Amino acid sequence: MDTILRRRGAYVCRSCTKTLRRQLSRNYSSAASQPDIYDVVCVGGGPAGLSLLTALRANPVTSHLRIALVEAQDLSKIRSWKLPPDRFSNRCSSLTPSSVQYLDQIGAWGHLERSRVQAFQEIQVWDGVTGARIEFDWAPGSAPAAGTTVAYMNENLNLTSGLLKRIEELGGVAVFDKAKVERIAYREETGDLDLREWPVVHLAGGKQLAARLLVGADGANSPVRSFAGIEARGWDYDRHGVVATLEMEGEGWGSGNEVKIAYQRFLPTGPVAMLPLPGNYSTLVWSTTPSNASLLKSLSAKDFIAMVNAAFRLTPTDLAYMHTQSSGQAAEYTWRLQHTPFNHRAVPQTALAVQDGTVASFPLKMRHADTYTTDRIALVGDAAHTIHPLAGQGLNQGQGDVQSLAKTIEYAVRHGQDIGVAMSLEPYVAERYAANHVLLGVCDKLHKLYSVGSGPLVPLRSVGLSAVNALGPLKTFFMNQAAGNGVKVF
Amino acid sequence: MRPPLRQVSIALRAAQTSQCHQQPPTRHFTTTPPTLHNPSTSSSVNETEISHFSALASSWWDPHGPSRPLHLMNPLRHDFIRSCLDSTPSPTSADETGLRYLDVGCGGGIFAESAARLPTTHSVTAIDPSPTILAVARAHAKRDPALSSMPKLQYLPTPIESLPLPASPSHRFDIVTLFEVIEHVDYPAAFLERVGQFVKPGGWLVLSTMARTPMSWFTTIFVAENVLGMVPRGTHDWSKYVNEGEMREFFAGGGVETGSSSSTEGGFGVWGAPRVMGVVFVPGLGWKEVKGSEKVGNYFLGVQKVG
Repeated sequence: MDTILRRRGAYVCRSCTKTLRRQLSRNYSSAASQPDIYDVVCVGGGPAGLSLLTALRANPVTSHLRIALVEAQDLSKIRSWKLPPDRFSNRCSSLTPSSVQYLDQIGAWGHLERSRVQAFQEIQVWDGVTGARIEFDWAPGSAPAAGTTVAYMNENLNLTSGLLKRIEELGGVAVFDKAKVERIAYREETGDLDLREWPVVHLAGGKQLAARLLVGADGANSPVRSFAGIEARGWDYDRHGVVATLEMEGEGWGSGNEVKIAYQRFLPTGPVAMLPLPGNYSTLVWSTTPSNASLLKSLSAKDFIAMVNAAFRLTPTDLAYMHTQSSGQAAEYTWRLQHTPFNHRAVPQTALAVQDGTVASFPLKMRHADTYTTDRIALVGDAAHTIHPLAGQGLNQGQGDVQSLAKTIEYAVRHGQDIGVAMSLEPYVAERYAANHVLLGVCDKLHKLYSVGSGPLVPLRSVGLSAVNALGPLKTFFMNQAAGNGVKVF
Repeated sequence: MRPPLRQVSIALRAAQTSQCHQQPPTRHFTTTPPTLHNPSTSSSVNETEISHFSALASSWWDPHGPSRPLHLMNPLRHDFIRSCLDSTPSPTSADETGLRYLDVGCGGGIFAESAARLPTTHSVTAIDPSPTILAVARAHAKRDPALSSMPKLQYLPTPIESLPLPASPSHRFDIVTLFEVIEHVDYPAAFLERVGQFVKPGGWLVLSTMARTPMSWFTTIFVAENVLGMVPRGTHDWSKYVNEGEMREFFAGGGVETGSSSSTEGGFGVWGAPRVMGVVFVPGLGWKEVKGSEKVGNYFLGVQKVG
C-alpha cells in the first residue's frame, strides 16, 4: 500500500491512488495481493524494451507516465558490463544509421562505449556456387557523402548497458529485475474502479503490476504474446547461426581504418558473414545446418579457424567434404587452398584466432505475429517478429517498432486518449506491420533462393546478382534498405 | 415527415431579421421555440433525437461500431482547440489553474474523457439530456483510474437550458464545446444563444458540424447511412445542417435578440472572427484537414468571446 501511495504519477493521479487504496482495503484482506497501477508495464529488458522505456522517459510529453520494467536477468550486471578493449562479445548486431540517430535522439547513444562500435561503409556479397558478385558500396552520386556509413557493428550488451545507464540517468522507471513472471491475468473483482480489462502481471513473491498498457518486449517466445492470444506464424529454417569473435590478420582491405567492409557469401547451406569490429577484430555469423553447426562448435580453435577461412574461399564441394571430418581441417584447408584460385582482396582477410568461449549457435526461424496489438497490449521487437539474420535487420526492426510505438503513445497522450486501448494503438500497427512483413519476406526469399546448390535456379540467380551489380538504381535501393532508409519504397 | 429543407437556415435568419426589426413571414416564426423565454423548462434536443442516441448507447465505445468516425475525429477536436487557444495570447486563467471545459451533448464521453486526461485541464463538465447515454459514459469512466475517482470529470443529465449559469463571468468556462450537436438541435439560434452565455470572456465556443450541401447529403446520408451503413440510419437529418456562412453571420450579428432575460443573465456577448477548419473523412485513413472543405462538408468552428 505504501508503495502505491509513494509512486504517484500525473496520469494515474494522486486522488485515484487514494480511492484505489480505499477500494483495495475493501476488496482484499491480504496486503500481498494488491496490484500497483502503472501506465506502462514492459516485460523484457532487451534492446527493444529498454529503448521504448528510454524514449518514453526522455520525452516531456510522456515522461509523467508511471512505468515499470520486468526482467528475469540481473540488470545491474548488464548495466556495469565491461570487457577489455581486445575482447568482444559474440552477440553483435548491425545498427543502421536511422537506428543510431534515434538512439541519439533519446539520449542513449552517448552512453555506449563508442570505441567498441565499428562503422562500415561497404558490403561485398557473392554467390558461393557461381561466384557472381555484388558490391554494395554506394553508387557514384548516391551516397549522401563520401565514406558514408552503411551500418554500425555493435555488441548487444554495449547497447543494453548504455540504455540502462540512460534510464538510470532519467530515473522514474520502477525496475523489477531478477523477477520471474508467474502469470499474467485479468482481475475479476470490480469496485469503485473497474479494472477488469487491465492485465495484471504477477511476479514470484506476490508482487502484482496492473497495466494500462502491457508491452511484450519479451522475445521470440513472448509470454505476453501468448497471454494476448496472438499467434506467431512462420517456419524454422532448419539452420543454426554460428557466431564467434575472430582476430584477423589486419584491420581490413579498406584503406586503413577509413573504409571498413562487411562480407557475406551465400553457400548452399546458408550465408556466412564476416562483419568488422574495431581494430583487427571481426564477428562471424555463419548460417548452416544444425549438424554442421554442432561439428563447428566441437572443433579445436585451429580447425575452426581453418573452416571459417575455407568458408570464404573454397568451393562448396571442398567445404562439404571438410564438414565430414571430425578433425584435421587445418591441414586439409592449407592443402586445398593451394589449388583454389581466388582474389584474396575480394574476400575478408585471413582469420588468425578465435576468442575463447565465443563460439556459439542459435536456431534460425521466421515468425510474424498476426498482429502487434490488442486492447491494453502491444508487442515490439522479437516478440512481434523473428527474421533471418542475413540482412542484419532484426535489431533494427525492433528499433523501428519502438520509434513508432513511442510516437503513437505520445500522440495518444497529447490528445487525451487512453494509451492502452486498441484504437489508440492502431497507428503503430498500421505503420509497422506491412514494413516488417515486406522485409521478413525478402530475407526469407533470399535465404531460399541461395539455399539451392544446383539446378536451373543457380545460373538464374547469378544473372540476378551480376545484373543487380550492374544496375545502379536497384543497387541504391538495396543500399538504402540496408541503411534503413528504405521506407520510401512502401 | 421531414421539415422543409431550409428550416435551419430560416430559423437562424428569422432570429436575425427580427433583430433588424423586419417582419418575417409567419411560418418562419413557427420554427422558433415557443418557450424561448423560459429556458429552464425547455430542451434544445427533441425526443426523437434523444431516443435515437440512447439506442446507440451500448455501442458508443466500440471502436469498430457506429461511433468509430467520432472516435477517429476526437484527436482533431483537440488539435483545433489548441489552434484556437494558440491564436491569441492566453486570455484566461488557464496557465495557473488549468482550463475549464463545458462539453454540451457529451454522449458517451468520447471528448469529455479525453479532455479530462489532459494535464492542462482544470475540470470538464459534460452534459447530455439522455440519462441512458450518461450511464454509459459514467460506466466507461470507471474503467480508468485516471478519471473515475478524479473530481476533474463531472457528468450531468441535463439539457443546457436547465444548467444553472454561473453568476460570475469568471466562473464560466474557458472552452465550451458542441461536437456534432448543432445538427441535432431543432432551434439552433436559440440554442447557441444559451450556450454562448456559458463562455467566459476571453473563452472559446468550439463546435463541429456539417454544411448543408448536396455533397454533405451524398456523403453523410446517402453513403454513410444508406450505402455503407457506417452510421446507423436516421442519425442525421440533412435539413438541420447549418452552413459555415450562416454560423459566421450569426456570431457577427451578436446572436438572437431575445429580450431582457438573456441580457440580465450575462448576455450573448461579442464574438471575434470565427476560426474554421474543414475536414474530410477518408475511409481507411480517417479524418484529414482539407482547406475550403468547410463549405461542402464537415467543419470545425471556433469563436472567442471578446466582450
